[in-house]
Amino acid sequence: MASNGALLSIEGLNRRFGAKEVVRSLDLSVVPGQRVALWGPNGSGKSTVLRCVAGTLTPSAGSVHVGGYLAGELPARRLVGASLAQERSFYLRLSGRTNLLFFARIRYDDRREGTRAVDALIEELEIAEIAATRIDRCSTGMVQQLGLARALLGEPSVLLLDEPTRSLDADARGRLWGALERRPQAAALIATHLDEDLNLCDERVSFPV
Amino acid sequence: MTNAFPFPFSLPRLGVITALVRRDYLVQRSYRLVFALDLFYGVVNLLVFYFISKTFDETTANLNGAPSYFAFASIGIAITIVLQAASGGLAHRIREEQLTGTLEALTAQPITVPELAFGLASFQFGFGMLRAAFYLLLSGVFFGVSYAQADWVGFVTVLLTSGGALASIGVILGAGVLVLKRGEILTGAVTFAMGLVSGAFFPVDVLPPWLQAIGSVMPTRFAYDGLRSAIFEGGGWGGDAIALTIFAIIGLPIGVWCFSRGLSQSRRAGTISQY
Repeated sequence: MASNGALLSIEGLNRRFGAKEVVRSLDLSVVPGQRVALWGPNGSGKSTVLRCVAGTLTPSAGSVHVGGYLAGELPARRLVGASLAQERSFYLRLSGRTNLLFFARIRYDDRREGTRAVDALIEELEIAEIAATRIDRCSTGMVQQLGLARALLGEPSVLLLDEPTRSLDADARGRLWGALERRPQAAALIATHLDEDLNLCDERVSFPV
Repeated sequence: MTNAFPFPFSLPRLGVITALVRRDYLVQRSYRLVFALDLFYGVVNLLVFYFISKTFDETTANLNGAPSYFAFASIGIAITIVLQAASGGLAHRIREEQLTGTLEALTAQPITVPELAFGLASFQFGFGMLRAAFYLLLSGVFFGVSYAQADWVGFVTVLLTSGGALASIGVILGAGVLVLKRGEILTGAVTFAMGLVSGAFFPVDVLPPWLQAIGSVMPTRFAYDGLRSAIFEGGGWGGDAIALTIFAIIGLPIGVWCFSRGLSQSRRAGTISQY
């Protein structure tokens, strides 16, 4: 963790795709338990920032540190739970639970511990029916709920949620925010363009930056 | 910025490798007919070479101790399956992950480069071994190929060292797919060319000298020679196994390093989440 207590530290983040500058000179510090909304219209660079923190995208300039580690390094990836582009991030011919068990096996060295964590999350998020269904038979909202469950595996210190409520019904939205409430030490970076999400976050960063 | 997937690497966790293998098995199993169709393809493949052998059954070429051209070719087919799985399996899996969109979700997890590379390649390799065993069984039971001289310890030893040696090429080809995306054409060309100059389906004696020279330094050449020697001569595979082991020891770290660089390049280019 940084000397200022920040769990996530973004300094001068810049990301270009060819000639297009998607994110320009973003500075952001997030402390444990803080929820920050990345708020802005589609295509404004919110998801790009999340990807830079998740380590699947390298900044063109600037730096991102998670828990003192450079984003993308193995220890940083252990600290981050990400729900990015959910529609295309699961194995379609496997059930939700089988998918979660697979990702748990990467997060947990002990297989039984991983299985317990998956079953606990299925119960907590009330997604037993979704977990029993093959992904290619799930709706977008169902897959989105599985994406949250996967992001919560391993009790990560930093949660990256990309448009997490976009396709959810009111009950599922309530369960999502409830899950975040039950993890008061977890910092969350939430990309959204919905005003109602803003009310449940501590801070807002408006995009494009 | 430092490399997110640093080298030197740590030893892969067995649990992660087995999770990837299990996942690939479950996906493969979900296509119910794939195993049966694969076996059918194997029978047809052997039949083609059986009748080619019947058409041209006299040869003066060196068949590595094989009693007939069909015996020579059937072993070549079986071995080629394993070698193609070892050299092209990872590239194939990477491409599938790109197309289904799961590569980003996977690389966002705390998974190391060797775990990713060997985990993604392992099911294909294991499945290739099973297919090869089935081909050998078919050749023996239905097509009269004799394994009376076979040294099975030697056969397995050379097969495993071949897998290690070819896996190093496979990991490099996987890195190519990460960067180039449509790298399966490159992968297919490389594996097919290696088979061509190494005596997969015909003796290398029939090749022009310059192609024989290229083939003589290919790990596939040692693999085919060693495996045929073990099967048909009951020995003489030791030198090939040593050569393949050396190739694996040198090649695997180089392959993992290339794969690591391929991932870093994809992260810089922002293409991990792209088709």
